[in-house]
Amino acid sequence: MIAAWQAGDERAAAELVRRHARAVARFLAGAGAPEADLDDLVQETFIRAFRAVASFRSQCQFRTWLLTIGGNALKDLGRRLARRRVVPLDERLESKDGDPHERTVAGETEERLRHGLTRLPRMQREVFLLRAQQGLEYGEIAAALDTTPGAARVHYHHAVKRLKEWLQ
Amino acid sequence: MMHDADGVHDEALRQVARRLGAEAADRLDVERTAQAVVARLRAGDAPQRPPIRWMQPAWMRAAAGVVLIIGAGLLIYRRLHLPAESTGVDSTVVVASAGELQDFTSGQLRNVLNGLDSTVEMTPTVHAGEAGVEDLSEPQLQSLLKAIPSIQAVED
Repeated sequence: MIAAWQAGDERAAAELVRRHARAVARFLAGAGAPEADLDDLVQETFIRAFRAVASFRSQCQFRTWLLTIGGNALKDLGRRLARRRVVPLDERLESKDGDPHERTVAGETEERLRHGLTRLPRMQREVFLLRAQQGLEYGEIAAALDTTPGAARVHYHHAVKRLKEWLQ
Repeated sequence: MMHDADGVHDEALRQVARRLGAEAADRLDVERTAQAVVARLRAGDAPQRPPIRWMQPAWMRAAAGVVLIIGAGLLIYRRLHLPAESTGVDSTVVVASAGELQDFTSGQLRNVLNGLDSTVEMTPTVHAGEAGVEDLSEPQLQSLLKAIPSIQAVED
């Protein structure tokens, strides 16, 4: 499919988007992307990937490579939005009622986790998401993030430790 | 809560992480996104083609190596075969070292000395075998031209 796109087949490009767009969106949303910008970010991720596809050397899966590109796109968006005021999530979390529905609790936990992830260093955040959310092995994560499996494991454990502290 | 392969009781955390962003991703209109990406690609966001073969780093390194070898070869050739062409220093020295100075008149000796002065002025910047007349500056050329009648006079 990638080779077909490199040969100029637009249908291959569309098919690659169909296959991986939801995983990219999930990763970006987990990493803190505003939902209003999610579609644009997914598009930007694929555009960047297709433009740079010649540099993809199969060092990791195509999807993992896409996720790292998505991380870069999100970082660039964050710079652009740096001056936009963000409502602190903690304020919303404090205003919960006395008898929350289970789903609401789960949603709040997700919000807290999402907020905690935004406070992590980027490497820890991406390693955590690739491991816990996407289910990737450390070797695959290391190849995608240009580090070693041992270092990826350390980043993951640091992320888990800090997230647990914040969630308790 | 399970004890996972990482040795940490983080299964609950993983379960939450797996749900993270799932709803937002489900709301994404994948087909519309795919069409938008294709449209953007058509509009000019085309893929970057692989660089032209001869511009790849390995070829550039090889070309640089060839240029260096040719340059070094030319330099060595000029040093070996064209030692005295550019300065005229040697002709003066040869004349002076031939033991003929005793036969010179005072005028001829003065001419030889003037010639030496001219060549000494040039030596800091001009080296035999490395530069030609075209490489001399205007003052150096003037000095050389002044020296030529002196040398001719000595040889006469």
